Amino acid sequence: MLNVENLNKTFKTDGGEVHAVRDVSFHAADGEVVAIIGASGSGKSTLLSLLGLLDAPDEGSIDMNGTQLAHLDAAGRTKYRSRQVGFVFQAFNLIPNLSAKENVKLALEFAEWPKDERESRAEEMLAMVGLGPDKASRRPNKLSGGEQQRVAIARAFAAQPQLILADEPTGSLDRATGQKIVELLRNAANTQKTTVLVVTHDEKIAKQADRRLEIEDGVLTEIA
Amino acid sequence: MRSVGVVVILAVAIALSISMLIARDAVTAKINTVRASTGNTISVSPAGFGGGGFGGGGTPLTNAQITGLLKIANVTAVQAQLAAQLTSTKTNLVSPITAGSLGNRFGGGFAGGGTFGGGSSGGTFVIPVRVIGTNAPGNALVGGANGGGTEKLTAGTTFSATSTANVALIGTDMATKNKLKVGSTFTAWGTTITVVGIYDAGSTFANATVLMPLATVQKLAAETNQITGATVYVNNIGNVAGAAAAITKDLGTAADVTSTQATVETQLAPLNSVKDISTYTLIGAVIGAAIILLLSMLMIVRERRREIGVLKALGATNQSVVSQFIAESTTFTIMGAIVGFIGGVLISSPITSALVSASGGSSPGGFVRRGTGFGGGGSGFTPPTGTGGGGLGFRGFRGLSNTLGNLHTSVGISTLVFALLAAIVIAALGSTVASATITRIRPAEVLRSE
Repeated sequence: MLNVENLNKTFKTDGGEVHAVRDVSFHAADGEVVAIIGASGSGKSTLLSLLGLLDAPDEGSIDMNGTQLAHLDAAGRTKYRSRQVGFVFQAFNLIPNLSAKENVKLALEFAEWPKDERESRAEEMLAMVGLGPDKASRRPNKLSGGEQQRVAIARAFAAQPQLILADEPTGSLDRATGQKIVELLRNAANTQKTTVLVVTHDEKIAKQADRRLEIEDGVLTEIA
Repeated sequence: MRSVGVVVILAVAIALSISMLIARDAVTAKINTVRASTGNTISVSPAGFGGGGFGGGGTPLTNAQITGLLKIANVTAVQAQLAAQLTSTKTNLVSPITAGSLGNRFGGGFAGGGTFGGGSSGGTFVIPVRVIGTNAPGNALVGGANGGGTEKLTAGTTFSATSTANVALIGTDMATKNKLKVGSTFTAWGTTITVVGIYDAGSTFANATVLMPLATVQKLAAETNQITGATVYVNNIGNVAGAAAAITKDLGTAADVTSTQATVETQLAPLNSVKDISTYTLIGAVIGAAIILLLSMLMIVRERRREIGVLKALGATNQSVVSQFIAESTTFTIMGAIVGFIGGVLISSPITSALVSASGGSSPGGFVRRGTGFGGGGSGFTPPTGTGGGGLGFRGFRGLSNTLGNLHTSVGISTLVFALLAAIVIAALGSTVASATITRIRPAEVLRSE
């Protein structure tokens, strides 16, 4: 269970202060898929950075299954990210000089997954997203966009995190492929009981989520 | 492709530094060898005396004066000689050297003043027979006015340093001219002298000389206790100047004191210049390699900023990301060091030769090689006395072009250690700024810019 209370984040820019996230509060259950909709510059990426502990909030709390995360130090945030958070990016962000399987194993290495289980776990996750051994040995530039995003999903779920943060996961894909990716995320969330937050522009994608939230000027509201 | 380029550039820089190190070592070794072998002698002759028994004037030095030089600090040995010229009234020997136009032109000069002046018979000049009494057979003809050739005993034996016997070593030309061989006799100062050995000193002038025990010549010439020249050996070239000053002070105006140090240092100047050039180039090449690697790694870090951000987002620590890049730069450096080491070794010899040649190190000058021993009772060849002479026979300064130009480059353990240390320094310097940049990359900023 993810509980976020009164989260605030302000940036100082040349043009003055920007209040990117204002008193954001929400919760998400295990295995629940929550869509966050917002226009460009609305604060959704900042919110994702705060929830993924890539950035520290100015105020507020983030509680993950009873653990307070908002004010962990840098080392604590790194450790938490490696074990409890999975990221899926619009641009896939796979490591280009590693094969699909090695990309998945990298996440397991950072999470200090047992060494002798990493190989089989990576193969299992790639199989879960529909990539067989022939694709597993390929580097990202030898895979299609949809296949790369599948690898990214396999990497995100590999270490059994409690939270998946997906930032425009279908933004670089055609509609049909995007639809399959959303289904994959839903299935993985259900199977592993992982909370999934999906940031998207696409209303059709958002409507497939269990709940929808909208962010505008840093303020988050639930869409009925 | 970029990685190959980085390795190649590093290899070139390391090859340059290795070749400069090898050149520097070779030049340093040569300088030390030359200094150790040629620069530690001082020539002492009576003030105004030309040397070799020809030209000039002055009053002979004495045994006591020369023996006293052994008490001067850092002096290790003193070789003394008494030169004389015998005309036909004093010997039945005939010089193998014909007077020629030079002899007739300078013949008057041989009459010279002082006790040991030879004789011009007036009219056509006849070269007198040169006799050198020495307590150092084997070294008596080396350098300066004495002829300077490399001596080899071709027949017979030699005499001891303290001999008083009526014996002689004669040059090959003298032996041929007078039909002498080992065991033959000739007369000098009315005394029968036995030939005990024949030598080849490599020059006509030196091979026309008669060498006899110092005490014998002093006795027969009725010049007991007199010395016309000495070579003083000093333990270290660094002490030559001090010893020369002490000798000058000791002998006062009675003697001309000269050393080979200044000459040697002048001749070594090009090598010192090469040494400096190679040192600066060596340092520059190492720094250059480090800068190349630093800039390359910075470029790589900038290009892979997103990848670094992703790695950090996935949970990689700064330490693990930095370690990965240090490993990468170390790999570049090691590959560059291996290729550069091999290349540096291969090009070191031609580069060293080119540097020495370009700096003027192959120009001729006044240095004589150490030989391989005189055999018999001789003490072997010793360094030349250098600047002792004037007049005829000044022909001993040769061989520098061969000696200074003949540098041997070699790769020792020190070169390998240097290559390793240089690689470590280059990798460390090259990685430092890149590592600092990596630690400052914030994943949130990188991913926000998608």
